[in-house]
Amino acid sequence: MRTNRLTGRERVNRFLRRQPHDSIPRAESAWAETIERWKNEGFGGDLAQYLGQDFHGLCWCDPRSHPGQFLLVAEDDKTRTYRDEWNNTVRYWKHRSGTPEHVAFSCQTPEDWHADHKPRLLAAGPFVNPDASKLDLAQARRNGRWAHLTGLEPFESTRRQMGDEVTLMAMMEEPEWVDDVARTFTDLTLRDFELLEASGLEFDGVWIYGDMAYRGGPMCSPAKYRELVWPQHKRLADWAHSRGVPFIYHTDGDVNSVMDLYVEAGFDAVQPLEAKAFMDVRQLAPKYGDRLSLFGNIDVMVMATNDRERIEEEVVTKLQAGMATHGYAYHSDHSVPPSVSWETYKFIVDLVDAHGNYES
Amino acid sequence: MTELDNLTEAIVRGDRKEAVRLTQERIDAGDEPKNILAALVKGMDIVGDKFQRQEAWVPEMLIASRAMSQSLALLEPLLVAAGIKPEFTAVVGTVEGDLHDIGKNLVAMMWRGANFHVIDLGTNVPSDKFVEAAREHNADVVGLSALLTTTMPAMKATIEKFREANLPNTKVVIGGAPITMEFAREIGADGFAPDAASAVGLVRELVGKA
Repeated sequence: MRTNRLTGRERVNRFLRRQPHDSIPRAESAWAETIERWKNEGFGGDLAQYLGQDFHGLCWCDPRSHPGQFLLVAEDDKTRTYRDEWNNTVRYWKHRSGTPEHVAFSCQTPEDWHADHKPRLLAAGPFVNPDASKLDLAQARRNGRWAHLTGLEPFESTRRQMGDEVTLMAMMEEPEWVDDVARTFTDLTLRDFELLEASGLEFDGVWIYGDMAYRGGPMCSPAKYRELVWPQHKRLADWAHSRGVPFIYHTDGDVNSVMDLYVEAGFDAVQPLEAKAFMDVRQLAPKYGDRLSLFGNIDVMVMATNDRERIEEEVVTKLQAGMATHGYAYHSDHSVPPSVSWETYKFIVDLVDAHGNYES
Repeated sequence: MTELDNLTEAIVRGDRKEAVRLTQERIDAGDEPKNILAALVKGMDIVGDKFQRQEAWVPEMLIASRAMSQSLALLEPLLVAAGIKPEFTAVVGTVEGDLHDIGKNLVAMMWRGANFHVIDLGTNVPSDKFVEAAREHNADVVGLSALLTTTMPAMKATIEKFREANLPNTKVVIGGAPITMEFAREIGADGFAPDAASAVGLVRELVGKA
């Protein structure tokens, strides 16, 4: 049984500052197909409520050069291809969730950026809606949850604008271009966060999303990250801290080699710590647990075995390691796939109930 | 240091202008095409080794690969005229149900950089299409990529199709974010590469021309 002496808001604030609290905070992400499977197996449909989720997003700030554009350019029996809000050509599944295929990117050169995409970005927005955020805040407060500003971080925005190959090669050959793109996206994100703030919106923290790594490590060297992306990450973390609130950073992939830079930038937590990319809270907590909170890392590949013995080992050992510094929150290491049964997921939540308490 | 060593170095640095200039210079000087090719391949091998030692990263690999492909474009007519064929023929694609392509693209680039003839089938490729392409091109190797745990079963289905098709000279290798050696063994793949650079050595080892 979970100990619930504190509200989610109080609990998360203490988790992010590594101060004593009652039980570990919780959040989760699952694929749409997983939810459908679980509904067929007896799940009521509200994962946040079932889990006892402690976090609530107030916005999704995601600057785009062509906001509102979603032009259908091709269709077959399984997919639809659009010209999207970055003016890129992307293909989506019709009847399945998942990230789209990027067929073509429209911003391929510094000339494209300066002549078209950058002026459009600067003229566009805002990409947040204060009235909608206030409704979300009211809901978060009713449920006692930690209410956070959310958005895309500049490396992810740059990749979405230019594509992986152009972005990564430009980091080597045209670093001033990448610096300008990353800085522009950060400027826009902070502009919109300040718009929300000026509207009177309260928030408890900032949670920024972007995937800067894959299983083989960061998408670029730590030195290139430090040179071109880290300054913008630090600006975002500094902005949150200047408002007296913590900063969470989401990235998939193996980021072991840049964890020190995350600490230096002042991140308060890193999430979701992808286990199959060699992130392991049992190794990270002794090394970083006094300076950085750790969020996630429960391996979806282990969940998908539906093997209770393996799952118990995974959950219990990771909770024990993370909880040693009062800086651990539950989340899977990615999104829960549909190969995980509802019975298995209930078992996982039971384990978190049983082993995730600091107080009885 | 010879001029061909300089060409190798230009590839390692990913300096495409210099690599193209030196390639043209060596062609004009009458060097054997196979020697120029060897200098280019050596450069990509060095980058691949550095990548595996985490001394080079994806951006360094990408610029080296681009320098290689632009240099190779100059050399190709001479290679064809001299009857020099690519080292291997490889088919690559992302399995059915999966639209992700960066991992597959990196493998294709590294294979091309190692002088493989690569047929890229794209994303969301049905099992039958992999088999047809392997048969049509007499492929030495087929590379299956998947990013999602939900599309891993399509790898197993594709390997079963290859077993049914009885193409004993075609090796099937797999890779992608959720893929492990354990999974590769479980589904009967001939090999597994944890990253794009390793995929080159894997093929050389599997096909026996290392």
